[in-house]
Amino acid sequence: MNNQQEKNSIIDKVLNKIKSGRVKMKPKIYFILKTVLLISGTLVLISFIIYFVSFVIFSLRVSGVLFLPKFGFSGMKIFLNSLPWFLILIIAILIILLEIFAKKFTFVYRRPILYSLLGIIMIVFIGSFLIDKTPFHSNLFWKAQQRRLPGIGMVYRNFGAPRIGNVHHGAVSEVIDNGFKIETPCGEALTIVVSPKISLILKTDIKEGDAIVVLGKRSNSTVQAFDIRKVEKDLNLFQSQRVRGYKSFWK
Amino acid sequence: MKQKPFQQSDEEIAALVQAGDIDFFGVLIHRYKEKIIRYARKFLSNNEDINDIIQEIFIKAYKNIQSFGIKRKFSSWLYRIAHNELVNALKKRKKKILPLFELDTFLPHSLQDESLIQNIDRQDTQKMINKCLDRLEPKYREPIILYYLEDLSYKEIAEVMRVPISTVGIRIKRAKEIMKSIFKKLEYSL
Repeated sequence: MNNQQEKNSIIDKVLNKIKSGRVKMKPKIYFILKTVLLISGTLVLISFIIYFVSFVIFSLRVSGVLFLPKFGFSGMKIFLNSLPWFLILIIAILIILLEIFAKKFTFVYRRPILYSLLGIIMIVFIGSFLIDKTPFHSNLFWKAQQRRLPGIGMVYRNFGAPRIGNVHHGAVSEVIDNGFKIETPCGEALTIVVSPKISLILKTDIKEGDAIVVLGKRSNSTVQAFDIRKVEKDLNLFQSQRVRGYKSFWK
Repeated sequence: MKQKPFQQSDEEIAALVQAGDIDFFGVLIHRYKEKIIRYARKFLSNNEDINDIIQEIFIKAYKNIQSFGIKRKFSSWLYRIAHNELVNALKKRKKKILPLFELDTFLPHSLQDESLIQNIDRQDTQKMINKCLDRLEPKYREPIILYYLEDLSYKEIAEVMRVPISTVGIRIKRAKEIMKSIFKKLEYSL
């Protein structure tokens, strides 16, 4: 068979298959549904990522880890060791998955991956920031503590407020001779004993109602503080933890 | 008055096929069969395989024609189907997993001036292509074929390969550099 005959036979075979009904055109609705599914899948994935990122921020705040970089190098070291790496890995996998999904859209694949990744990260951070301003996670966390949240409640109990070694934080409820009494976001009352070396600076600086983070060894409800830092009020870090049932300072 | 098929654009004919005039699909096959066969031959050497793949490309085009938006270019859309079929064929043949992301699609690159390339070195490059094309990696071979042999623009190639337009420019530039060095070696060895 020469080249021309070969080409014609290809055309004939294709047209025969079409005309005999062996090959059928997919209806327009199929493609519309596919697009709707793709858009919904992308939105669901974005929501999941925003949920996980805001949950990590919430858990870091409740455990006090978020304030550790304020303690300088030693605080930074504990901060890195205390990050929920498993959740961060899940978030990274979900972001890669989202990038693969998003590459199906013309406006995404026409641009370098770096741009779409930056776009995704920006959307996720804005979304997480907004969620963080609401009592969404606090409410779920409280329900989980009361065993009124099936399924996802386990995640809140396991990762929601991990106790990190020597890190304690809360609001000062009383200034006493050798330190302070604080109330933690979980409603616990702790007595912070400070060494005379640091107490002088603290006495003038910290007063009732201030939010503080303490590095120190705990025995029962007393903490021997190595270092204390006041958390800036304008950071608004404690205010968003208005967990129902939290008393005094957390309301 | 109804226009004759040869006066109508690909997109207008595709719209007729979408509306149910399946005979017009033959017109589209006639228009593109040579180009698609030539394109496939640059990647596959076995004639049997090529015939099967060409059939599959046109069958897929027919099955999915309702997904074609007539405001787009039909040629880019058809080449995209051909690209997918050829990538699958190469994957099967080499049993190689292709990377999810290519490094050159990650970062932005400055856009190469298409018109400048066209005027200065089109003929020289076509000479080189004939001698060195089969020695290029598929990721460099494809934009070179589409640009120099099939006359697609950077934008159309970007649509076919689903990569950023600037990546097309970078790949064509690198492909030419590779071909130049191969060409020099060949000239010396002759």
